[in-house]
Amino acid sequence: MPGAASVLDVDSVSKSYGATVALQDMSIELLAGEVHALLGENGAGKSTLVKILSGVVKPNVGTMRMGGQPYEPHSIVEARRRGVATAFQELSLVPNLTVAQNLFLPRQAKGTLGLVSGAATQKQAAAILSRFRLPLSPSAVVAGLTLAERQRLEITRALACNPRVLILDEPTAALAETEWLFGLVRQATAAGAAVLYISHRLAEVRELCQRATVLRNGRSIATVSLHDATDHNIFEMMVGRSQAEEMQGRARAGGAIRPAVLEAEGLAGESLKNVSLKLSEGEILGVAGLEGQGQRALFRALVGLAPLASGSVKIDGGRVRLSGPDVALKTGRGIAFLPEERKTEGIFPALATATNIVLPVVGRIGRAGLVSERLERDAAAGSSSDVDLNPRYLDFRIGDLSGGNQQKALLARAMHTGARILLLYDPTRGVDVGTKQSIYSAIRSFADSGGAVLLYSSELPELVHLVDRCLVVYGGRIFAQLSGGDINERTLVAALTGHSSQESAA
Amino acid sequence: MSANLDAMRGSAPGSNVAVAIRRVLTDGAGVVAILYVILFALYALWDRSALSVSGVTDLSNNAAPLAIAAAGESLVVISKGFDLSVSGVVSLSNVLMATYPIEGPHGALISLLICLGVGGAIGVLNGLLVAILRLQSIAATLGTMIMGQGLALVIMDAPGGTVADWVSNTLTDVIFGVIPISGLIVLAVVALWFVFRRTDACIGIFAVGADETAASLSGISVVRARFTAFVGAGLLYGLAGFMLSVQTATGNPTAGTPFLMLTFAAVALGGVSLTGGRGSLVGAVIGAATLMLLQKVLFSGGVSSFYTGIFQGFVLVLAIVFGSFISRLASTGARA
Repeated sequence: MPGAASVLDVDSVSKSYGATVALQDMSIELLAGEVHALLGENGAGKSTLVKILSGVVKPNVGTMRMGGQPYEPHSIVEARRRGVATAFQELSLVPNLTVAQNLFLPRQAKGTLGLVSGAATQKQAAAILSRFRLPLSPSAVVAGLTLAERQRLEITRALACNPRVLILDEPTAALAETEWLFGLVRQATAAGAAVLYISHRLAEVRELCQRATVLRNGRSIATVSLHDATDHNIFEMMVGRSQAEEMQGRARAGGAIRPAVLEAEGLAGESLKNVSLKLSEGEILGVAGLEGQGQRALFRALVGLAPLASGSVKIDGGRVRLSGPDVALKTGRGIAFLPEERKTEGIFPALATATNIVLPVVGRIGRAGLVSERLERDAAAGSSSDVDLNPRYLDFRIGDLSGGNQQKALLARAMHTGARILLLYDPTRGVDVGTKQSIYSAIRSFADSGGAVLLYSSELPELVHLVDRCLVVYGGRIFAQLSGGDINERTLVAALTGHSSQESAA
Repeated sequence: MSANLDAMRGSAPGSNVAVAIRRVLTDGAGVVAILYVILFALYALWDRSALSVSGVTDLSNNAAPLAIAAAGESLVVISKGFDLSVSGVVSLSNVLMATYPIEGPHGALISLLICLGVGGAIGVLNGLLVAILRLQSIAATLGTMIMGQGLALVIMDAPGGTVADWVSNTLTDVIFGVIPISGLIVLAVVALWFVFRRTDACIGIFAVGADETAASLSGISVVRARFTAFVGAGLLYGLAGFMLSVQTATGNPTAGTPFLMLTFAAVALGGVSLTGGRGSLVGAVIGAATLMLLQKVLFSGGVSSFYTGIFQGFVLVLAIVFGSFISRLASTGARA
């Protein structure tokens, strides 16, 4: 974008927390009308930069200028006033307030006497929601929204400030389709805004962004035009070594018929309508679906977290009644579940990583009913190597780890339970390229050793890359079942949207 | 959260009555209000004087101190904190009023300001410790509670003294022949709540109580929200101490001690979530009134006062079980 005016200029900014250097000598310039990608592995300093730009933390050294004026925000509110709005990765919506109230935090619309007017807030919120094409009720409470709806609301809230600089931190982590977001981003840039776009999905970045700045170990390595840089170049800059691992299809297990370990017949209830599936030993069975098509209910039903109106589940051919994850773990060869929201459903942030890993089996590793830290650590060390988790993290509080390492630890936990059936719900959501590779190889070797995996992913390349067969859910049913060479992005996309002549496996 | 959810799901038009009923039942304040009405009916059955002006006034005078203290506690609990300093403030206000009685309406006003000042000061101290220094609220307010009680003992080492006559006679009376003044004061607190409910500060307190990180990333000042909650609570404890002195007409350095457990019981009974972010000051007020009414009912039913605690605890557990049962029932009903 030659000749475009600079909107935000960050020059040699550094930030350290005690002895830990989070950002060092970071420089980036955002131009009017551009979508600028920020790339880097987890822990590269992206979140720190986002926090600095949005006024959450102050840099130790360095200068920032907006349109020639110094920019030193002391709070989120001040940053917003200066025209910098952020949609945070961890979603900063308050669960017990309504959609409308969240849109206007920290200041609601006022009526008479300067008091908050619920009616005015809802009316203005409705206008914002329709302007950004978000079909939510302003009076809906955020706790009742799906993750995808919350993500859209977070984005809408940032856009509603009419920012000159819009920061989107992993905005598609919970979105199965990007059309809505990309349309809005293009609208904002057409109006002259600069967008800082953070995503681990390179295809997405290429589609939307013009330039990219790559971060590694807290330093800005380079700013490149995406048009000129190959994926290979970018990966190399991100990880600092040539890790040109091509996305290859798995050598799919064909021919030999393996025994089915998990069978579901006619599951119905909540958003499910008559879903049947069969998962065999050594198989990775993929589940694809646009957001809210019943995949979440399916996974939760299979571990007994969601009630079933009808249908049956069999493990190793025997009919079972699963009333919860604890029962699922102990039934037959065992089912372990890796849930969607690691922050709220997965980790115990105040406990050590080792403790988090061994938690489900803590009764097994104790001596005379007592568990020591050393026993925990020894037990956790074995499974941490399976997922390529650096053992030095075992003693840290898991809450202090990066998202990618937390996810590795959770996968280690699921494997450590000894269950031979894993239900993985979007296991690579919001993790970086390197971590993804470790997670992929952990899943693969688990299957190769005779385990069975049911894998939902919001990223199609991941399914193409990993699975032996793939089910496509649509409207609470299994709409299509793909195998072998049919598992490619084009067929999947067609099936996802319900436009397919594929056999219907009802 | 399910109460909110139901309110949301129920916003579809058509079944307004059912929605209203569900809302009342799933709102903690609704359940305890129904409980209060039932208890009051029982009380009126046993004791015909319950419906007389003096009966109602008596009930109101009895309940006002705890109701106002519980109102204060609910602010802190909604912001996801605990405030034990209530018993320190109540004791301190009470001994000050009994040691330095000031006659006449102006005297009453000065006494009231002193009580509010004591409560406000301890509230500010709590706010400094919890909101700014980020100490755990139980530990910090345990400290300020002990300080308050200790100070009360220094001022008055044994029960005694007399509260100004004007205060203890006038403020326990009725106006217009039927309306107890203590009840009006409680109503004024409730009215203030409804105004406060419509400020950004109050929404901030609810937000911080539910998710501190999200609230701060949304631009809410967590420090200011916590501080506001503690200072508001302290002021209300001061008022509670004033109303207690009005009622007892004498001083007692340990007068505030029973308030510690009873305010939390009232808050829980009133449907305020002890994990923060959910509830209403009104619920806490009705919860307190219910606990005090229960004492009356037991007394008029001829039950020895030694059993009061057992019944209060039983009713508390029952109300919480019932409340969570109803809200679960309503949420499955709404889903189907």
